[in-house]
Amino acid sequence: MLKYGFVGPALLLLIALNIFPLGYNIWLSFTNYDLSGGDVKSVGTRNYREVFNEPRYAAAIRTTALFVAAAVLIELVLGYALALALRGEFLGKGFVLTVLLVPMMLSPAVMGLFWHLIFKGDYGIFNQTLGAAGLPEPQWLTDPGLKLAACVIVDVWMWTPFMMLISLAALNSIPRHIYEAAEIDRAGAWTVFRRITLPLSAPLLLLAVLLRTTDALKQFDYVMVLTGPNDAATQTLSALLYQTSFGSFRVGLGTAYGFVVLVAVIAVATLFTRYLDRLQRSR
Amino acid sequence: MRNIVFALALAFAGCGDGGGSSGPGPGPGPAKDGPKAITIWWAQWAPADGLQELGRDFEKETGIKVTVHQTPWPDYQNQVNLEFGNRETKFDIVIGDSQWIGRGASKGLYIELTDWLKGAVDMSTVHPRAAKYLCEYPPGSGRYWAAPCETDAIGIAYRRDWFEDAKEKAAYKEKYKRDLAPPATYEEMRDIAEFFTRPADKRYGVSWLTGRGYDALTMGFEQVLYAFGGSWGDEKTFKVQGHINNDGAVAGLEYLKSMMKFSTPDGAKLDYGQCLEPFDNGSTAMLVNYFAFYPEISKKFGDKAGFCPMPKKGDRRFASLGGQGMSISAKAPKERQELARQFIKWFEQLKIQKEWIKKPAGFPANTDILKSEEFRKASPYNAAFADSVDILVDFWNVPVFGELLAPVQQYVGEAMDGKRSAKDALDAIATEHEEIFRKARENGDLPK
Repeated sequence: MLKYGFVGPALLLLIALNIFPLGYNIWLSFTNYDLSGGDVKSVGTRNYREVFNEPRYAAAIRTTALFVAAAVLIELVLGYALALALRGEFLGKGFVLTVLLVPMMLSPAVMGLFWHLIFKGDYGIFNQTLGAAGLPEPQWLTDPGLKLAACVIVDVWMWTPFMMLISLAALNSIPRHIYEAAEIDRAGAWTVFRRITLPLSAPLLLLAVLLRTTDALKQFDYVMVLTGPNDAATQTLSALLYQTSFGSFRVGLGTAYGFVVLVAVIAVATLFTRYLDRLQRSR
Repeated sequence: MRNIVFALALAFAGCGDGGGSSGPGPGPGPAKDGPKAITIWWAQWAPADGLQELGRDFEKETGIKVTVHQTPWPDYQNQVNLEFGNRETKFDIVIGDSQWIGRGASKGLYIELTDWLKGAVDMSTVHPRAAKYLCEYPPGSGRYWAAPCETDAIGIAYRRDWFEDAKEKAAYKEKYKRDLAPPATYEEMRDIAEFFTRPADKRYGVSWLTGRGYDALTMGFEQVLYAFGGSWGDEKTFKVQGHINNDGAVAGLEYLKSMMKFSTPDGAKLDYGQCLEPFDNGSTAMLVNYFAFYPEISKKFGDKAGFCPMPKKGDRRFASLGGQGMSISAKAPKERQELARQFIKWFEQLKIQKEWIKKPAGFPANTDILKSEEFRKASPYNAAFADSVDILVDFWNVPVFGELLAPVQQYVGEAMDGKRSAKDALDAIATEHEEIFRKARENGDLPK
């Protein structure tokens, strides 16, 4: 009984803050609930039929998938590279690590606002720097081919330190004696990396990728601030949900979108965790 | 199973805090300091400050305290609609955008003022366009859901000092064979914008409302749409095909897109505040925005700034309507609704309207005031504003206006970005609008 006593309050909180809202949202997704209230009527599966027939939904899935793939991949590569560079001891390591972690500590919405100024076409510092180096000055926030890239840049800037942190933990968890044994066997740097460093750090890297993927799938802050929620070039699933619920006032339809997103996130997370499990068992 | 539970936990963990962003608070509740008080919600801008000052005068006269709570424009619509979802609203009067009136009327959010307003206000002194767009739903029905508060229009601010510079005038005359003057036609506007565009000197011809959030791009495009011969659709039948995508509409959108060559590099994406920046920093010759923003321009530039209405295309001249009417919340307690009526009646008196126009961007709908020389001379922009009221047009104010706005913002934006042709963009809008109206008709959301 004591164990239930310890777990009970947390469980109650989980139910109140997660389970109940989930159930309520599922119910809303079968209604015509309007943002300003009024009579609520059941509409059956109409909202879900609209979700799957709406071309904007397919476009938002593509945009979100592209954003997640680009951002998470770049963060993984850059974060891992930084971790490899910083794993050894050197003077000022603590200070360097602290500075590198600063972007992660800041509010994404505030960072989006700062980057909005940085990306400004005429006086933004990004283009001024490019111009000073004799490079072209693209219009990050108006060129339809670059708007999503701008969002990716901001995400990479903010969350590469997170990947770096997890990668550092992964690298530091590899026992030293394995490297010593490889040294004795005269293994080259590339062989050591390919056969020891990468495989042994993979489980934690995958966990980091899983965490970043589930976070990036619900990307909203930068999109809202940099381009607005109704820009086709950057309309992620969350932005579409926002636009539907708050722009068109159709909260019932918005919750249907939200539930489909939740199922997608759970599916992705399930695949990852199954793979991670298999990886752990094979070690 | 274990994996699914873990995955669920991860998903919910992700749901906790993605960005730490938080909207503005709902603002103070109804003023409870004295026995009688009302709360008015409005967007955060200069006219709201002016209204608060008048509210203090009202309190001195009647003992009824008035609090004007201001919400930044980007959040205003959301906050108001969320508040309407409560059983009782914190506001008694909401000064809502003209597009909100259909929704407010049909969803039972606003109190109908038809019988009361005719007795409280001489409606014959209210400019017919202001009455139609700010107060009436359905349009032309004679049913009122708001009293006029702020009438606004899009117009042009321009650098008079640049226009009157002798060297510039001579160079312009030599190139375009006519005098450099505030644009009377869209062709002249294009020439002037081209003339003043000198990117090497960081000088630009025009800064236009083109923002992708809420409705800035729609408002920036609307007057061009109508001037070039298009329209949003038939107000009675809600037919859209052949109106929004006729040849004139296509030409209008192509014109607007072509003007972006004479704007700042991010000129195709300027929201209300951002649109002011290029003019404010002294780099741009002309600004296309609402008159309500021009008191600050006039204060900063003094005689160097001039103001004029939107130009013509042929004999067609239109200006996008702005402005809001005062609506009484149907979810406010009855006693406060009565106090709200008292305030509105007091505000609409001619002597108070004459005080209202002395406040920055206090623009009236009263025809006597609009025609008066006193009003026209009261500020550098008043005359241009008064001339613009006669040519006002507005977006759909039906309950589904939010759904109608989204495709306009998106597809016109895509045309501006070069992702679609003007014709494709307008055809896409027409198709979506017809579908939205079809569904709205089925759900009984359209006026009969």
